[in-house]
Amino acid sequence: MQPLANITPLKPAGAIEVRNVGQIFKTTTQDVTALEDVSLDVKPGRFVVLVGPSGCGKSTLLMMMAGLRQQTSGTITISGAPIPEPDPNRVGVVFQEASLFPWLTAEENVEFPLALRRVSKDERRAKAQDALKLVGLDGFGKRHPHELSGGMKQRVSIARGLVQDPPVLLMDEPFAALDEQTRMTMGDELLRIWAATGKTVVFVTHSLTEAVYLADEVIVMSPRPGRIVDQLQVSLPRPRTYEMLSGDAFGTLRDRIWRHIRKSA
Amino acid sequence: MQSGLAVKATRVGIVVALFAIWEMLSRTGIVNPRLLPSASDTLATLGDLLQRASVRKDLAVTATEVVTAFALAVPVGAMIGFLIAENKYFSDVAKPLLFFAFSIPKSIFLPMFILVFGVGFAQKVGFGFFSTIFIVIMSTTTAVESVKVEHLTVARSYGATPMQTAFRVYLPSMLPVLLEALRISMIFNLTGVILAEMYASRDGIGHQIATWGENFQMKQLLAGVVMIAVIAIAFNELVRWVETRCSHWRT
Repeated sequence: MQPLANITPLKPAGAIEVRNVGQIFKTTTQDVTALEDVSLDVKPGRFVVLVGPSGCGKSTLLMMMAGLRQQTSGTITISGAPIPEPDPNRVGVVFQEASLFPWLTAEENVEFPLALRRVSKDERRAKAQDALKLVGLDGFGKRHPHELSGGMKQRVSIARGLVQDPPVLLMDEPFAALDEQTRMTMGDELLRIWAATGKTVVFVTHSLTEAVYLADEVIVMSPRPGRIVDQLQVSLPRPRTYEMLSGDAFGTLRDRIWRHIRKSA
Repeated sequence: MQSGLAVKATRVGIVVALFAIWEMLSRTGIVNPRLLPSASDTLATLGDLLQRASVRKDLAVTATEVVTAFALAVPVGAMIGFLIAENKYFSDVAKPLLFFAFSIPKSIFLPMFILVFGVGFAQKVGFGFFSTIFIVIMSTTTAVESVKVEHLTVARSYGATPMQTAFRVYLPSMLPVLLEALRISMIFNLTGVILAEMYASRDGIGHQIATWGENFQMKQLLAGVVMIAVIAIAFNELVRWVETRCSHWRT
């Protein structure tokens, strides 16, 4: 772990720097290199998508950016400082399905991060209401997760990630369990929320279409050991529309990612 | 709703029918009334017994033993179960052993409890504790395993302290399983204490029932059986009622 005392001036809030990061998992029989020499820069406010086949370490990289896991080598900084443990003021995390607490209502789930910090009841409720409004769930706060659809549950998860207003939002395959129509809608919703809040977003997915549709930049990774094999700038105009999916520019980008993935699969 | 009501009506009907058959068998002499006093006589005896100071004292003694054994076995068992579940090594080592211990009928150890504790409060509470703790340990490990890793990761990613994780994630995740465990543990606990009383004791309702049995006081014996059955059912239903109130937590 790095000493926290380096007096470097803070980078602008929301910048992510990954430098020569490696991750080795030790098992009883062998050491598995999950990530090798990964470096990347994410400027504040950008939407970056990590894609790659299973086992390429994209989720592992995301967990390290969240401070939930420490790299074996290299450095990661968020807003200019290393992240030796989770820091909800700098990073909000949105997980795959089923991460909401079923015993809490939607608004209590959103308030959870604030409740941990002993924020007053009134302030908590007000912030949760704002976050729920932002994700389009105004009026659903009193419902329990089992009373919400899959898409609505993920909206609650996003609201929970945003409630402390961190500059960075990390998303680990958040729409993987949703049906395709809901998934498309949620993609548009996420882009709307991103445009409204100006967060830096790092988004992990298996879906190439989703990757190109959402991203400013797509990082393609390959497995065994996990490393970056390509970085694509997606210059499609915003707001993105459904019609773009059938355009040439979209197809060219998606094909380029697919060729990398086919090679490593 | 109609079918729900019909089910309830049928259920009540069955109970009433059982009492009616009981009454009939005894009144008509198909079963010797000295062996099976009628239901009405038994219930009248029950009312009579509950008026008696000695029976009330026996009930109080048994209740004290049951509550003491339960209050000791549940936290101790929960603590052991928690430690086992949280440590992979402990869990690998201890779990099969617990299953071995659980499968042994606890009643065969009762003579040893009498030798160690003598006849009295400690022996009965000790045996009640012993009868209960294994099921508590096993249920607690199941409850801990029912905590979802995703939920723990969420708590960690929002900076929860170990204390906060315990009270805001572990406890609510485990509560439905724990409530069910509490209910089943009480059945084991009650069985243990009453058995200890019937086997060797100077007081307690179990001792009374054993005495009535030995003296062929069938009315009193059956009244005692009804009394304990009602108490056990009442506790069970109380916990079940709490359980249904938090059933949506199980999603």
